[in-house]
Amino acid sequence: MSTGPALVSILRQGDTLVASIHTALDDSEMIRFQNDLVHQIGEHRARGVIIDVAALDVLDSFGSRTLRTIADMARLRGATTVIVGIQPDVAYAMVQLGMGRVGAHTALDLEEGLAYLSSMRNGRHKAAP
Amino acid sequence: MAALIPMLRRIVGARVGQHPAAEDLVQETLARVLAAKDRIEPGMIEPYAITTVRNLVATMWRSGDREQRNRHRLHDPNEPRDIEESVVATEEQSAITEALGRLTEREREVLLAHEVSGRDTRSLADETGSTAGAVAAQLKRTRARLRVEYLLALEKVEPPTDRCRPVLLALSSADRRRQRELDAPRHLLECDLCARLSAPLLGRGPTREDEVHVPITSDPDIVAARQAARELAVRAGFSGTDLTLLATAVSEVARNIVKFATSGDVTIELLDQPQPGIRVVARDTGPGIPDVGRALEDGFSTAEGLGLGLPGARRLMDEFSIVSEQGRGTTVSMTKWFDKKG
Repeated sequence: MSTGPALVSILRQGDTLVASIHTALDDSEMIRFQNDLVHQIGEHRARGVIIDVAALDVLDSFGSRTLRTIADMARLRGATTVIVGIQPDVAYAMVQLGMGRVGAHTALDLEEGLAYLSSMRNGRHKAAP
Repeated sequence: MAALIPMLRRIVGARVGQHPAAEDLVQETLARVLAAKDRIEPGMIEPYAITTVRNLVATMWRSGDREQRNRHRLHDPNEPRDIEESVVATEEQSAITEALGRLTEREREVLLAHEVSGRDTRSLADETGSTAGAVAAQLKRTRARLRVEYLLALEKVEPPTDRCRPVLLALSSADRRRQRELDAPRHLLECDLCARLSAPLLGRGPTREDEVHVPITSDPDIVAARQAARELAVRAGFSGTDLTLLATAVSEVARNIVKFATSGDVTIELLDQPQPGIRVVARDTGPGIPDVGRALEDGFSTAEGLGLGLPGARRLMDEFSIVSEQGRGTTVSMTKWFDKKG
């Protein structure tokens, strides 16, 4: 991200990373975002990742696939991913496109996403043998 | 008469010195005196000659002055100054001559009569028993042809295919129906020469507010294409979900171009017949799709990924068609009708 305002931001909150996409990304920017995020999961020893896509007006097959890839990679690195803020129109288009299942947990907004992550953490502790 | 010459030389010499025109003035005076000899009373020849030579000198200075005063008007600011420019001008001139030569005699005559001699279409029409409108239409066609022939002559090339001339002509005359018949945009993708030559022709005709053309070569163009589609659709009154569906579908077809064909373009145009809508045409010069039927099935793809591009785009739009020729490329046309409920 050489010039202009940042396209994405990745913030840390405890052991959770909150990644927000601020504007439409093209494919190479999307891949860069994916690499940055996966790298930071290791760097910050994150247990949870929230990806906020509220600013995106389009999530096409490539975008959806990249989100799924991020979620899969994060899971392999020991972190749970929640995608938040998918707009209703975008959700409809994704279902029509056949990308209804993004392979990650989704939540309505940031608050719900954080709530899900903390319930996951508590649930896991309780469920642990 | 010859006796006058030394005296005249003296007078002229006194007034203009070593001026290059001095001898001319003397001779001119003699000529005038000779011409008027019969009207001059005897003995008055000498004073007559003196007056004449004085007048001629005065006239010379006066016209010299006038020329000086008006010299700036002779300067043509468009005249090329350095050699390079004048070479270009010569080339342009010979190209236009060549192009004129390629018109039929009749076309050339009418064009020159109108453009150079300034004759109006009505008088030209009367000559041939035609109407002013028909002559104007013919002139328009001739000019369009002249533009094409000029560009060809300037580059000193002959178009490589039979389609080149008709396509260039359709572009030159801004004839949209003909362009569609010939599938001109596809030809421009396939033919490098026409793509280059057509650049100055494309701006012709009224600029259209209801059409956007996005060349696609790399992934940022995918975003550009879908944003262009969205903007156009907003202007046409699309809203909400339709916009997102449209943008997503444009994104898919544009991505196919980048992924499979490396270059192509996406044209987005508003329709008002048979009902308001928006049409997206994606053309590429890629390898083509061997089995279009299978490419439209969910889950089929020759590249990595889920292969949802085409069938997904088809579900997002109201109408969808695809033409693919192996080795030549693929054209995807899809339409979304404007849903007033949305």
